[in-house]
Amino acid sequence: MSERESERNFQKMLQVLRDHQSVHFEACVRCGLCGKSCHVYLSDPSVENLPVTKAQKVVGLQRKKSEEVDEKFLLSLQESVYGRCTGCGRCNLNCSIGLNIASIIRVGRTILSALGRTPEKLLRPLKNQLEYGNQMMVSADEMRETATWIASDLRLESGQESFDIPIDKEGARILYLVNPREIKFAPLSLMAAAGVFGAAKESWTLASRFFDVTNFGFIAGDDESMKQVAEAVFSEGKRLGVREVILSECGHGARVFKWDSGVASPLPTKSIIELLDLYIEQGRVRLDKKKNAARVTLHDPCNLVRWSGVSEAQRRVLREACADFKEMIPNRAQNYCCGGGGGMQLLQECSEVRLRSAEIKANQIRSSGAKVVATPCHTCIDQLTELNKKYQLKVEISTVTELVYNALLY
Amino acid sequence: MKLVIADKSIEFDHDGFMLDPSLWSDEVALVIAKEDGIEEMSEEHWKVVRFIRHYWLEHDMAPAVRLVCQELGVGVRQLYKLFTLGPARGACRVAGLSKPDGCV
Repeated sequence: MSERESERNFQKMLQVLRDHQSVHFEACVRCGLCGKSCHVYLSDPSVENLPVTKAQKVVGLQRKKSEEVDEKFLLSLQESVYGRCTGCGRCNLNCSIGLNIASIIRVGRTILSALGRTPEKLLRPLKNQLEYGNQMMVSADEMRETATWIASDLRLESGQESFDIPIDKEGARILYLVNPREIKFAPLSLMAAAGVFGAAKESWTLASRFFDVTNFGFIAGDDESMKQVAEAVFSEGKRLGVREVILSECGHGARVFKWDSGVASPLPTKSIIELLDLYIEQGRVRLDKKKNAARVTLHDPCNLVRWSGVSEAQRRVLREACADFKEMIPNRAQNYCCGGGGGMQLLQECSEVRLRSAEIKANQIRSSGAKVVATPCHTCIDQLTELNKKYQLKVEISTVTELVYNALLY
Repeated sequence: MKLVIADKSIEFDHDGFMLDPSLWSDEVALVIAKEDGIEEMSEEHWKVVRFIRHYWLEHDMAPAVRLVCQELGVGVRQLYKLFTLGPARGACRVAGLSKPDGCV
């Protein structure tokens, strides 16, 4: 790096720090409670894993000289904010003076993004979102054909002739956003949602172009791209004339679209979990909990629960849909991260940390005695599936919607 | 992770996907499948694996699950019974693909 280039980079980094008013972190009293609340630190109590150390690496930039911000420093910053933190925010909740530690650590990602140093594995899905409208380059044709195929399987399986998966239906009451993996690889959760919508006689639609509930701008700390991705989706909702946007089970997607995209949502936006809760309360679906007889526990996705306050709806739903629902401990806002959040699930170099730091989660699951772990987030599902294998938990992992679908009475 | 399979040294990434997919062979498929709890690869397993492999060689990306099911006449629930880890982490991995991008 030339001297001029490194000075320019340094000024960019300081600007990001100023934009995010990160100086509030100077108030830290070094009590260490953040460490005791962090699953990464608990699995390896070294000073580098203390949330305060990770945040300090970001904020401490303002006391550095530009020549100190060299390649070695940038690599260690990258390792701190991507390889030692999932952004789960449990440290915030337990900070003795209420600092927003996890958000400061995310500012580190924004800084790296401004320097063009976002990890490739996170950048590619983001580029796909900006260019193709979704992270997996699923074409509009593929979307339509998959919807037709899944709808026909759904009618066969449920015996309900009226069930359908509408696409680009103008004037539908809700636009349902999905994770592209539900189209490309794992369509059973879409089938379940369509079944529940059908049973509730909901007026709904998918969009063929901007249908993606995820937002890699958020994961990469690239706020401008995050806004652009969110705006495209909201415009699609406006164009179709829907009255509500409903988000499929996705932790960060719920956080971003509900309140953290940087764009004021032009439409009411809810997680499907909140809608399921409403259907049950209003008697729009009838459930037989005996159909889910095995013991079910719930893993709370950090972005949905700790960050976005959707906490009770999923419990009310599971109590109605499952015969033996048992909480894992701790739960709700104090629940531990699955270990796979914040993009860590996609970063190969983080696999060791990701699986090691999740031992605490594996133990929570084991102690619950559950045979099924429900969680309203696809990334949590992937991580829990890996934990199931590594820690030999012998459980099934399921979305909440799939359990509700399984309990439906027609 | 490194394994010697049929006299070839095969490297896997941290998620268990092949680092060099060109080294894939039936023997490699059997080893991966076994690791996922598939004791015996049935004709149906092979049908799925060969379709995915062939598609990937032609298009440089994994096929959509719809294509797999429709082309082979396999139901989606049946596919999950064959590969309990699902089409991406299960079937694609056995077929020797590198890990697909995105939320997988």
